[in-house]
Amino acid sequence: MAATGSSTRASKPSPGSESGPGTGDIPRKRCPEPESEPQELLGAGPADGQDDDTDSEESDYSGLEDSGSDSDSEETGSDPDSGEEDGSKEASEETGDEDAEVQTEKNLNLQKNDEYQQDSSDEEDIRNTVGNIPMEWYADFPHVGYDLDGKKILKPLRSKDELDAFLDKMEDPDFWRTVQDPQTGRDVVLSEQQVALVKRLQKGQFGDINFNEHEPSVDFFSYDVMIHPVTNRPSDKRSFIPSLIEKEKVSKLVHAIKMGLIKPRRSQDDSKGRYYDLWASEEQGRVRDLRMHVPAPRVPLPGHEESYNPPPEYLMTPEERAVWEQQDPEDRKLAFVPRKFSSLRQVPAFERFIHERFERCLDLYLCPRQRKMRVNVNPEDLIPKLPRPRDLQPFPTTQSMVYLGHEGLVRSISPSPCGQWLLSGGDDGSARFWEVSSGRCVKKVEVCGAIKSAVWNPNQGLSLVALAVGSEVLLVTPPSTAADKQVVTATERLLSEEVESAMGEGPVIWSNAEGEELLHGIRIKIQHPKPVSQVTWHSKGDYVAAVMPDHSSHLQVLIHQVSKRRSQSPFSKNKGLVQSVAFHPIRPYFLLATQRSVRIYNLLKQELSKKLQGNAKWISSIAVHPGGDNVICGSYDCRLSWFDLDLSTKPYKTLRHHRRAVRSVAFHRSYPLFASASDDGSVIVCHGTVFSDLLQNPLIVPVKVLKGHVVTHDLGVLDVTFHPSQPWVFSSGADGTIRLFT
Amino acid sequence: MSQLQLRLLTPSHKTVDFDFLVKGQFLRTPLSTHMETEGISTEDVVEIEYVEKITAPEPEECMMHDDWISSVQGDSEWILTGSYDKTARIWSVEGKPVLTVAGHADVVKDVAWVKRENLTSLLLTASLDHTVILWEWNSEKNKVNARHCCRGHTASVDTVATDPTGTKFCSGSWDKMLKIWSAVPTDEADEVEEPADRPRKKQKTQQLGLTRTPIMTLSGHNEAVSSALWTDTDEVCTASWDHTIRIWDVESGIMKTTLTGSKVFNSISYSPLCRRLASGSTDRHIRLWDPRTKDGALVLLNLTSHTGWVTAVKWAPSNEHQLVSGSLDNVVKLWDTRSCKAPLYDLAAHGDKVFCVDWTENGLMLSGGADNKLYSYRYAPCQTDAGA
Repeated sequence: MAATGSSTRASKPSPGSESGPGTGDIPRKRCPEPESEPQELLGAGPADGQDDDTDSEESDYSGLEDSGSDSDSEETGSDPDSGEEDGSKEASEETGDEDAEVQTEKNLNLQKNDEYQQDSSDEEDIRNTVGNIPMEWYADFPHVGYDLDGKKILKPLRSKDELDAFLDKMEDPDFWRTVQDPQTGRDVVLSEQQVALVKRLQKGQFGDINFNEHEPSVDFFSYDVMIHPVTNRPSDKRSFIPSLIEKEKVSKLVHAIKMGLIKPRRSQDDSKGRYYDLWASEEQGRVRDLRMHVPAPRVPLPGHEESYNPPPEYLMTPEERAVWEQQDPEDRKLAFVPRKFSSLRQVPAFERFIHERFERCLDLYLCPRQRKMRVNVNPEDLIPKLPRPRDLQPFPTTQSMVYLGHEGLVRSISPSPCGQWLLSGGDDGSARFWEVSSGRCVKKVEVCGAIKSAVWNPNQGLSLVALAVGSEVLLVTPPSTAADKQVVTATERLLSEEVESAMGEGPVIWSNAEGEELLHGIRIKIQHPKPVSQVTWHSKGDYVAAVMPDHSSHLQVLIHQVSKRRSQSPFSKNKGLVQSVAFHPIRPYFLLATQRSVRIYNLLKQELSKKLQGNAKWISSIAVHPGGDNVICGSYDCRLSWFDLDLSTKPYKTLRHHRRAVRSVAFHRSYPLFASASDDGSVIVCHGTVFSDLLQNPLIVPVKVLKGHVVTHDLGVLDVTFHPSQPWVFSSGADGTIRLFT
Repeated sequence: MSQLQLRLLTPSHKTVDFDFLVKGQFLRTPLSTHMETEGISTEDVVEIEYVEKITAPEPEECMMHDDWISSVQGDSEWILTGSYDKTARIWSVEGKPVLTVAGHADVVKDVAWVKRENLTSLLLTASLDHTVILWEWNSEKNKVNARHCCRGHTASVDTVATDPTGTKFCSGSWDKMLKIWSAVPTDEADEVEEPADRPRKKQKTQQLGLTRTPIMTLSGHNEAVSSALWTDTDEVCTASWDHTIRIWDVESGIMKTTLTGSKVFNSISYSPLCRRLASGSTDRHIRLWDPRTKDGALVLLNLTSHTGWVTAVKWAPSNEHQLVSGSLDNVVKLWDTRSCKAPLYDLAAHGDKVFCVDWTENGLMLSGGADNKLYSYRYAPCQTDAGA
């Protein structure tokens, strides 16, 4: 450190460079390793310090690179100009130039001995033959060595005192490059080349000017596999011969292991439980990452209002704009005002960019880091769990009986209220009474014309059936043994009563049957103006409703009261072609099915109470649940609609199990069953539980497809009805048979 | 195992076929498969019983009727049938028509012998016209005389049965009632409360025999009574469409037991030999019940082979294992309870529904149906001899 400092100081007065080479540096150029020079200089530093305290102090003071120290302050006292900072030091040095020069000279003299130490022996121009010895050994002698002839080489006469030195300095222009050769003790003036070399070395450059330190490097060894070897040297023999030494070592080890001298390294048992796998419960990286993945909240997709040219409805009106500006920024629906530009070129810079980025960062940072469990939904679980059909027994499953006898279509069937008899009417103009259990036709009533509808009176106290034949409704008594004598008597009394009926007034003519017809059991004929398609009894058995479908007339439905021989037309308006009618089993309601809808009329209040709108195109038949709150409705477009009257006027459920038109539907009186008959020749029995709990929807499960009827003339099953007490279903078909399924 | 079977078969050189019983089950398959299906271990000692094989019943006579045959009851000499032509007929066992009993206003649904004393016999016919008529038949004069017209039912009488002593009979009807009547002919008519406005003249014309009223009316069934029989002198068993079999004590008029099934019962039969009830239902099964169980609803055995309603079942009078059944699938089947998987024989003589079957004590099986024919089959009752 001190050496460097001194050399720098020596260079100060030089005009060419701020850190010019000091004369004391000359011997150093001969060092074999120029790069390591600064280190050596550093290493030399402390040695100097030990030599002379004042020297070090001075050098410290003079050192430009040195930061301020204690020794500085001493000098500051002597030189007030250079006390404060490094920058001011320089200035002070320049001002007090001459003092400094004197000191430098003194330094140089002192350092000469040191320089010898550093020198190597291989000098080129050696005139002194003392060899490579410390020159201070000759310090006390007048000579410095011996020449080739063995004569003493005398030290040059050192007569220069301080004043001479100062004069030299002031007068000799080459003083700055004059250095003393320690070996000979003479002053040497450095040539221009030598000075340039010193300067380059001081800059840390190479001594040789022609040396290019930035030559492109050539990679001899690259990752490329080359086809030729880098060296031409053949591989050693030992590289392909098993090593004998290794073999020896291994055999020694094997021997030692066999002899038990070496024992395999025992795995440290961790019985104390000092160590445990902290991550044992952790899942392996990727799976865990996937499982624990919390996706970043999504950026909402841009809408039309963010377009540079939004549709006009997305632009704000001045009022909206005013409202928008009034609002708190957090309450605004839109964070910006949609603006319209004629072209993309005119869109200005997006001033909210930073704000928006910030918001996004906030979103990401504050988003709930909560894992949203994805619900794994099995599509089959979404299907409502229907009970298995076998759990819903009893329901009809097999065909048990075929009632043969009719020729032609059997249009209508109806069981007696007790369940012993079955009435059927068909196109062959005969109504037949069958014994249910044996399939025996016990009575056959011939009428003139096809029977469109045949219904047994539901009242157990009467033994009477109604037939729709052409434009007549016939009231017929079943065989007398089919009912109790008292019932028969009651029926007789009802039919034979002479009633003052308003005959001839209405559109209907009541008449008592006579002669041959009376013997067959036909008792009363009700003559209608138009063909009757359906008759149905009220549950009390006194009223019977007849349907005469007609597009143009309001006189489509007539309700007859048997006990009073009276008829009334309840509807004064034509609401469409009437398809089917039914009396409500409990309440005084009357259901009327037109082509598209089912109307429910309150008979007491004489008003429309409800209108059921199915999506059926052409309703064929309706049936009312014995509980009274549910209606099923079959239609020619293969559907069966279940209406819950408490729920809605729309169907609660629509079943499309039939492939052809649904002709007839029926409810069982006591079992939770309903059935539909279709032109595809099948009867489908469904389970339909109606719960007394109003909150629970009816349970509808299709349970059985009953086949047996042969499709004739594109007509399959025409009517279906349940046995009143057993879970049996009767069906009548176009093939002239009636079948019982149990 | 088959060798064992062969060895057992070798002694039967007298052209007598045997049936083998393994643990009370008829052997119908090779022994190994039988043991596999029955889960009998081959390590155990298996007791094999063999009986003389029951020969196939041979059709003997075919008695033509004018109309469907609703019921039949055989006797050692005579056969009584009820028909849908409103008459009952008496036939000799050889198949000769003896007498036609006409008098009912409607279909005769059931018939029963009451008593046979030398030349005069008592017989019952139940009809759809709500009445049961007790007839007295003199076989020598071949004349029948309506002794009593039993009125009381308000619907068709479907079943009638005589008690073992021949002094009482019971009738079941569609009006859900079971009525017990006296079967002893008297010369007095019981008092009947007639409705006042009933035309007296009409009543006179309808009257056939003296009016008789029931001793007892037992109500309890919710549906029609389809079949009734006496299991003892004071015990009546009835089957009904309300899916129950009820056993009544006639002395006290109390219902003793209810056996509940799941289907309508068409017919029941009781065998005093094995004390089992057999029932035929509207499903295709024949079920065997133990009437003495109190908890009811205990089906001992299901015999399934019919494909239609089983309309009639009858136990063999002399064999505790055999019964015969008739069904709407036109087939009469002979069963052995020891081989419940399949019937012994299918008698497919009928061309239409079978409504009634019966056994006579002298080895005749009878069946009648909707093809107007009454078939009688001769079968060989055999004795059971056991082997080891």
